[in-house]
Amino acid sequence: MKDPITVEIIAEGLEAAAQEMLLVLQRTAMSPIVYEVLDAGAGITDAAGRLVASGAGIPTFVSIIDRAVRAAHAHFGEDIRPGDIFLTNEPSQGGVTHLNDVAAVMPVYAIGRRVAWVGVIAHWSDVGGGVAGSMMAGAGELFQEGIRIPPIKVAEGGKILTHVFRLLKTNSRLPDFLEGDLWAQIAALKAGERRVRELARRYGYEVFVDTLNEILEAGYKRALQGLANLPQGDFALEEEQDDGSCFRVRVQIRPDQFVVDLRDNPDQMPGPYNLYRDATEIAAQMIFKALVDPRREGANAGFFRPLKVITRPGSLFDALPPAACGFYYELRMRVYDLIWRCLATHHPALLPAGHFATIGGTVLSGRNPDNQKAYVLVEPQPGGWGAFWEGDGVSTLFSAFHGETYICPAEVAEARYGLEVERMALNEEKGGEGRYRGGKGFVRVYRMRAEALLTVGFTRTRIPPWGLAGGGPGTPNRVEIIYPDGSIRRLGIASGVRLPPGARVRIVTGVGGGYGARGDSEGR
Amino acid sequence: MAERKVQVAVDVGGTFTDLVALYADPHTGTQRVVTAKVDTTPPEFEKGVLQVLQKGGVPVGETALLIHGTTVVINAITERRGVKVGLITTEGFRDVLEIARGDRPDFFNLLYRKPPPFVPRYLRREVPGRMTYRGEERSPLDTNVLPGILEDFKKEGVEAVAVCLLHSYANPSHEERVVQEIRRLWPDVPVIASHEITREWREYERTSTTVLCAYVLPVAQRYLDRLGQGLADQGFGGQIYIMHSNGGVETLERTKRVPITMIESGPAGGFLGAAELGRLLGEPNILALDIGGTTAKCSLIVDGQVRIKTDYWIERDRKSSGYPIMVPVVDVVEIGNGGGSIAWVDDFGRLHVGPQSAGAQPGPAAYGRGGQDATTTDANLALGRINPNYFCGGEIEADMDAVNMALDRLSARLGMKREEVARGIIRLANNNMVNALKLVSVNRGYDPRDFTLMAFGGGGGMHAVALARELGMRKVIIPWAADVFSAFGMLMTDLRRDYLITQLISLDTPQAASRLSWLAESLTQTALEELKAEGVPLERARLLYFGRIRYENQEHTVEIPLPPPPYREDSLSQIAQTFHEAYEREYTYRLNAPLEFVTLHLVLGVAIDRLQVPRMPRTGRSLEEAMKGVRTVDFDLEGVQPAKIYDGHSLEPGMAFEGPAIVETKGTTVVVHPGCRAEVDDFGNLHIYL
Repeated sequence: MKDPITVEIIAEGLEAAAQEMLLVLQRTAMSPIVYEVLDAGAGITDAAGRLVASGAGIPTFVSIIDRAVRAAHAHFGEDIRPGDIFLTNEPSQGGVTHLNDVAAVMPVYAIGRRVAWVGVIAHWSDVGGGVAGSMMAGAGELFQEGIRIPPIKVAEGGKILTHVFRLLKTNSRLPDFLEGDLWAQIAALKAGERRVRELARRYGYEVFVDTLNEILEAGYKRALQGLANLPQGDFALEEEQDDGSCFRVRVQIRPDQFVVDLRDNPDQMPGPYNLYRDATEIAAQMIFKALVDPRREGANAGFFRPLKVITRPGSLFDALPPAACGFYYELRMRVYDLIWRCLATHHPALLPAGHFATIGGTVLSGRNPDNQKAYVLVEPQPGGWGAFWEGDGVSTLFSAFHGETYICPAEVAEARYGLEVERMALNEEKGGEGRYRGGKGFVRVYRMRAEALLTVGFTRTRIPPWGLAGGGPGTPNRVEIIYPDGSIRRLGIASGVRLPPGARVRIVTGVGGGYGARGDSEGR
Repeated sequence: MAERKVQVAVDVGGTFTDLVALYADPHTGTQRVVTAKVDTTPPEFEKGVLQVLQKGGVPVGETALLIHGTTVVINAITERRGVKVGLITTEGFRDVLEIARGDRPDFFNLLYRKPPPFVPRYLRREVPGRMTYRGEERSPLDTNVLPGILEDFKKEGVEAVAVCLLHSYANPSHEERVVQEIRRLWPDVPVIASHEITREWREYERTSTTVLCAYVLPVAQRYLDRLGQGLADQGFGGQIYIMHSNGGVETLERTKRVPITMIESGPAGGFLGAAELGRLLGEPNILALDIGGTTAKCSLIVDGQVRIKTDYWIERDRKSSGYPIMVPVVDVVEIGNGGGSIAWVDDFGRLHVGPQSAGAQPGPAAYGRGGQDATTTDANLALGRINPNYFCGGEIEADMDAVNMALDRLSARLGMKREEVARGIIRLANNNMVNALKLVSVNRGYDPRDFTLMAFGGGGGMHAVALARELGMRKVIIPWAADVFSAFGMLMTDLRRDYLITQLISLDTPQAASRLSWLAESLTQTALEELKAEGVPLERARLLYFGRIRYENQEHTVEIPLPPPPYREDSLSQIAQTFHEAYEREYTYRLNAPLEFVTLHLVLGVAIDRLQVPRMPRTGRSLEEAMKGVRTVDFDLEGVQPAKIYDGHSLEPGMAFEGPAIVETKGTTVVVHPGCRAEVDDFGNLHIYL
C-alpha cells in the first residue's frame, strides 16, 4: 500500500497531533518556563521508539521523546499496557538533559496492537536539590540537583497512581506547580493519543505502519539530497572558552554521512556543566537539520540516519553518572556553536556569523511583596545575532536553541512577581562591525522590591561572539548586580546569590558578530 | 412608494465587492432580495461600492440603512500604504516595538529575519512617569519633554502619533494627559492612545496595536469620508453602520476614531450571519465554514454565540511571527485552502494542495488565462462536480484542455491516472479542512456530531457534505446566496461593542466579590454613558458579561459567561463551578487550585432598526422544472454516478430531492452526495441530511 495521498494524510495527521499536544501543554501548564519559554516538546514515535513527528516549540526538544520511549521500553518490556503513562528525568535513561526536564510518554493502541507512542517533555520549575529551581552552581553530583526519576509509571491502565504524585510533590519546593505541570503533560498525552489512535483505526494497522516507515524513508532521502548539496570534506576547529580551556571538533561531510567527532576534549568536570551523550547528540542533530533542511517539519529518525556523533565516555560531552548537569545547556550551546563556527569558517556562505550564543538562564525566587506568595521566575534572555553575506544580523532574538520562546512582558512580570522592570531596551554597545553588522543585544533591568535569590547561567562572558569573513567580533554577555549602595558585582554562572530589597539586576546580552571587512566592495 | 424600505449591505472583499439589498413594501408585506457582485477597486475601494450599488439597481436615495464591511484597513497594512507614525512610550521602553517577543517560529532557520517594526527607532520617544499594575502612580508623568518630541516629529514628517504607556490598561490617566497635551500643542495631527483601543495587558501587543491603528488612521478616515461623500452625492440620507471584526456593527463616527477594529470586517459578517441564521432556523449550535478563493475559514458557534478572541495577528505563520493586533475578532481558524489553491508534488513524490493560490490572475487552469497549475477548482471540474458549461455562472468558458494538461503533469510525476489525481486533490483539500474544523471543535472539547455544518463562500457547497461525512455530522445547511453570505450576514447584525479590561483578582480572597462587582459595574456605567451620549435609548441595550479565569500561576485563561453584577459569595462559587466545568471539557482534568480572575469581558448589544430575513415566495413551480438535466459525476469513494442537476435559482421552499445531485447557482455549486436528502426551507436555504 503506497498510495501517496494516504501517506500524506497520515503524515499531516501526525504533525497535527504533535502540534496539538504542545498547544494543550502550553495552555494548561503552571510554570512560566513551559508556557512562555516553551521549554517543552512533544513527539510521536513508531512502536519501536523511532521518531516520526514532533511538535516542539523549541528545536532542542525535537528529538528527545524517542529516547524516553526506548528507555521505558527497555525497563518495562512486556509490562506495558494501554493507559500506562511513564516518566523519566534520568539523563542516561531517556531524560537526556537535566533533572528539571521530565519526559512523559504513553503507548498508543489501536486494533488491539501497539502502533505508536506519544510523548511530552517539560521543564519543571523545581525538583528539589540544593537550591530553589534545582540548578545549583556548586553541585558536584546529580544527587544535589534534585530527585532522580528512572523510567517509572505514573498511570497504569488508565488509572493515575496518586502515590507517585505524592512522592514527586514531596520532593519539590513548588508542589502545586509540579502537580499542575504534570497534569498538563497528561492532558497533552491524552489529546495526542486520541488523534493517533483515530488515524490508525481509520486506515488499519498495515497501512498505518507502512506509512510510518514511508515517512522515515522519505526523511532519509531528504537528508541525502541535502547532504549532496553541502561542501564535501573534512573540517576542524579549536576554540578557546571563557575559562581558558579549549574545545575541539572535527566534521566529516560525505554524500551519505555527516560525522561529528568530539573525542578530543576535556574530561567530565566536577561542576554541573556536563553533557550526557544524548544531549550532545541533539546539539549535532540541530546543526545538521539547520544545514541540510532548515524547514520546521521533517525532523524524524530517518532524517537523522546519516548523522554519526563520536564521543569519548567520561569526557565533557559524554559524561557518566553521577556527573552533575544542571547547567548542561550552556555547554550544549558551546558545542553547537563550535560545530557551527567550524563549518562557517571553512564556508562563509553557508551559515551566518556567531550570535550571542548563551541561553542566559536567569532564575529569581522569593516572595511577591504584594501578596506574600512564593514565586520562581525562570527565563532565558534574547540577544544579538550574527550578520551574513546579504545583510545585518537580527537584533534581540532568543538563542538558536529557542524558537517559540517569548519574552515575558514587563506588565505581566511586575504583577506576577512583584518586582519592577525598569528598562527593556536594545543594547547599543559598539561591536559586530563589518560590511554587515551584528544585530543588537538586549538590556533588561529588574529592581527588587523585596529580598530574592538569583541564579544565572551565562557563557560568552569573556570571549565575544565571532565575526566571519573579516567581520569584527560582537560583545560579551554579562549580568550585573547593582546594590543599593551603588557597588556592582558582575556574574557569569552563579546560584543562590542573595539580593537585598532595592538591588537591581542588569542583564546585558551581546551584539552579534559582523560579516565581511569594513569597506568591502559596496560598503555601507 | 416613499414608504418602501430599502436596506443594503456592501462587503468589499479582496477580489469582489458584494451587494445584498433587501426591499420591503409595508403595504403588501412583500419582501425582495437582490444580490450583485463587481470587482474590488483598490486602492479607491469606495468606487467599487458605488459601482455595485449601481449594478444592483439600488435606489440610494430611498435606502434607510447601509451596512458596510471593508478590507481597506487590512489592505493598507499588508500593502504598507499607511502613514509615517511617531510613537511615544514610557521611559525605558521605546524599543519594545522592535524587541517584540524575541521568538523565532522558523526555529531551525539560522537566517531568520524578524518582521521590521512599523516605527523606526528615531521616531520612538519616551516620557518619564510610571504606573503600577494596580493602576497606582509610582512616579509622576512629565509632559515637559513633549514639545521637543513633537517638534522633531513635525520635522521628520510624522503624520500620526501613537501613545502607549506601561500599565495604561489599569489606569489610563497618564495616557489621557499625553493625548491632551499633544492635541493642545499640535491640534491637526491624528493621535491615538492604547487605552482607547484596548484595556488588556501586555505592552508589546498593545504598542503594536496602537501603532498599526495610527498607521491606518488617516487612510481609513479619508476612505470613510470619501464614501460618505460619494453616497451623499447620490442622495443617500439613511444610517450607515460599519461591520467590525467582533461580529457587530458600529457607527461611522466611532469607526473613524478607532478604525483598526474593522480589520477582519468581511469574514466577521459571514460568521455572525451564520449564528443569526442558525437562531432563526432553531439551530443554535453551528460549525460555520467559509471557503473562498485562497483560504477556508471556520468558526464554532455555541448556543447562538460566536466566540471572540483578542489574540489576533497579521502576517503570522510558521515562518514569521507577524504583528499582533489586540482587538476583539471572531475566533476563526484559517487555512490556505480555497478554490484557487494549487496542487503540487514535492521532491519526494508526495502530493500537496495549497497554501499557494492561483488567485484571480492567472487563476485556475480552467480560466484559460495561462494558469499551468491544477487547482482545487480544476479538480472539481475534472470530476464533473462543477459544470464546465456553466462555469462562474456561465461568465467564463471552462478551458478543459488546460485542466487536463495541468492534471496530466501531476499524473506523470505521481504515476497515477488523471482522475485519481483529481480525486486525490479533493481528498487532500478536504483533509486539510477537516483538520481545521477539528481545531475549532474537537480540540476545544466539542463533538462535531452535536453541530450542524453551515457552509458558504464560493466553495462551501462543493465540499460541505464530504466534510460533514468525514466528521460524522448529520446535517449540512447551505444558506441562500451562499456566495455573498458575508454581505447577507451583515444585514442580520446588531450594534455590538466588546469592552475588555484586565484586572487581576484572586477569587479566594475576601474582597474578591466586591472588587469584581465594582469592576463590572463601573465598566457597565462607562458603556452606557457612551451610548447615552450618542442619543441611543438605554432600554435597547443588552449586556452580557464574561470572565477570563485561570488556575493561579497559569497563563492561559478560559472565558466563561458570568451572571450580571453585583456579585456575592455565592455567585463566586457558581462562577468557580462554571469555570471548572469549562476547563475540564477543554482539557480533560480539573485542579483543586485557587482561581484567578484576569479579564472582564462586557458585550454591549443594541438592536438596530433592521428588516427580518424575508421568506421566499412560492410560485408553485414543480421540482422537474428546476431540473436542468443529468450528468456523470465522480463522487470518489461513492463511485461515478449519474447525478440530477438542479438550477438553484429555480428551487423553492418545500422542494426536496435525493442525492446524487448537484445544485448550480451563478456563484456556487452544491454537491449532494448519494444517500443524502436535500430540502429547501422557507427562506431558500438548502438543508442536506446525511
